[in-house]
Amino acid sequence: MAAPCRRMAARSLFHFLSFSRTAGGNSGFRQFSSTSVHRATLQTKSVTEKASSPWTLMAAVCLQRLPVISADCGPIERKFRDMMLQLELEKSLLSDHELRLLEDAERMSRKQADDYDSDEEDERGDQEIVLAQDLEDSWEQKLKSFQPALRVTADADKDLTSLERCLADSLLLVAEQQVGGEKLWLLPQTQWQEGETLRQTAERALASLPAAGFKATFLGNAPCGVYKYKLPKAARTESSVGTKVFFFKAILSDSGPPAAPNAPFLWVKKNELQRYLKPAYVMKVDRFILDL
Amino acid sequence: MSVTLSRCLCRVFSRQTAPSSFLLGEHHHTVQSPWFAPVMTLKTSAPLRAEPKKKKKVDPRREQMLRERMRKKLKKLEKVPPELIPIEDLITPAKCLDETRERSAPRLSFEESEGRALLLKEWCRYKQEQHFAEVEAVELALEAQREALEELKLESEELYQAALKPDPLLFPFTHKGPAYTPPKTKYEAPDGKYNNITKVYTQ
Repeated sequence: MAAPCRRMAARSLFHFLSFSRTAGGNSGFRQFSSTSVHRATLQTKSVTEKASSPWTLMAAVCLQRLPVISADCGPIERKFRDMMLQLELEKSLLSDHELRLLEDAERMSRKQADDYDSDEEDERGDQEIVLAQDLEDSWEQKLKSFQPALRVTADADKDLTSLERCLADSLLLVAEQQVGGEKLWLLPQTQWQEGETLRQTAERALASLPAAGFKATFLGNAPCGVYKYKLPKAARTESSVGTKVFFFKAILSDSGPPAAPNAPFLWVKKNELQRYLKPAYVMKVDRFILDL
Repeated sequence: MSVTLSRCLCRVFSRQTAPSSFLLGEHHHTVQSPWFAPVMTLKTSAPLRAEPKKKKKVDPRREQMLRERMRKKLKKLEKVPPELIPIEDLITPAKCLDETRERSAPRLSFEESEGRALLLKEWCRYKQEQHFAEVEAVELALEAQREALEELKLESEELYQAALKPDPLLFPFTHKGPAYTPPKTKYEAPDGKYNNITKVYTQ
């Protein structure tokens, strides 16, 4: 844990940003420190009449695109599937189609025999002309004439901003947002405002993403995780000790118009999260993202 | 005096024959005795009225008897318990009991059967690991949520209460599961016509 902190401290610059949104807001200075894990907040919480807690509240949305195609089978799954198909075939009875195939084969062999007498054959008229094998062939032809869409497209997989990548896995939306002096990759978040529930804040966070028309179904009113961090001691005031970020889960229902190529968000799989998010953040977020 | 007597008698008899009193009233000054009724009052005199009444008594009685018999028959029929609707899934169709359909059972070599048994055991172990991983993941997620709610409670009570409220708009929630191939854009599916031959039973 110490190593990444040092790396973070070395990377970060001491930017001092003062920002006040509301009329009665305090301006504060934030900075990175190496003693504990910190991330700067964008705005300070304004002092209100009932400011009993020194924590700034923010809500973030964990937007997931669920898998579109079934995942490939692992080796043991493939072996087991083949074995089950074999077992089922062995334990089954002959179907109508198979009986018909056998009868046709028998009739063909009788026709080709030297002592063939067509009068002995039961007259079935048209049924003799259409053999079961012909039916099978015509079905094969029909199947071949249908071209399904490709399961895996290597180009789409590499493009991190496209929604069509990795159709077999569930993807998470990660946005680059201004936090303190830095632009960081994190789950889209925004500050809580008076008079709204945290879920509404999360919905606002999703809607306020630049150039994105995502339609999502939020799963319930309760947050699924929390990430809290304290501000460096120098920047702490009486009214703001740190920030608590509450995460809300949502499932993508409609992607809307395709986003511009330079849009500051990515769709990443769970195992790619570490590349973009901070380690402590990832630790907390990992827990509630199920990648089964 | 005889006229007054007759008038009294008429009045008395007219009281007895109430429905036709207005007719009698018109003619009471001409009627001498009810037994010599004028033609106008023929239909309404007592003896003549008696005959159709007898017919009416018999007919309704007969009809009533018929109706009662019908009702009794219906009750007897209704007492029989209704036929149970057969569960088609539980009835083995005659096709499956046909002996000509049996497949010749293949002979498996020893290695083959051993391999199958070992694969089954491997599969069992694999599925068990998967199950434990799932259970652990779900427990972690629940723990994360519990922590979040605790933190929220420390923050503000009203936000906590708002978070605990169930969301009525969430259900019914539907999501199409993964298929083998992704959906084709601009694909026109052919019309699927079918004849529905399911048997519908009524009790």
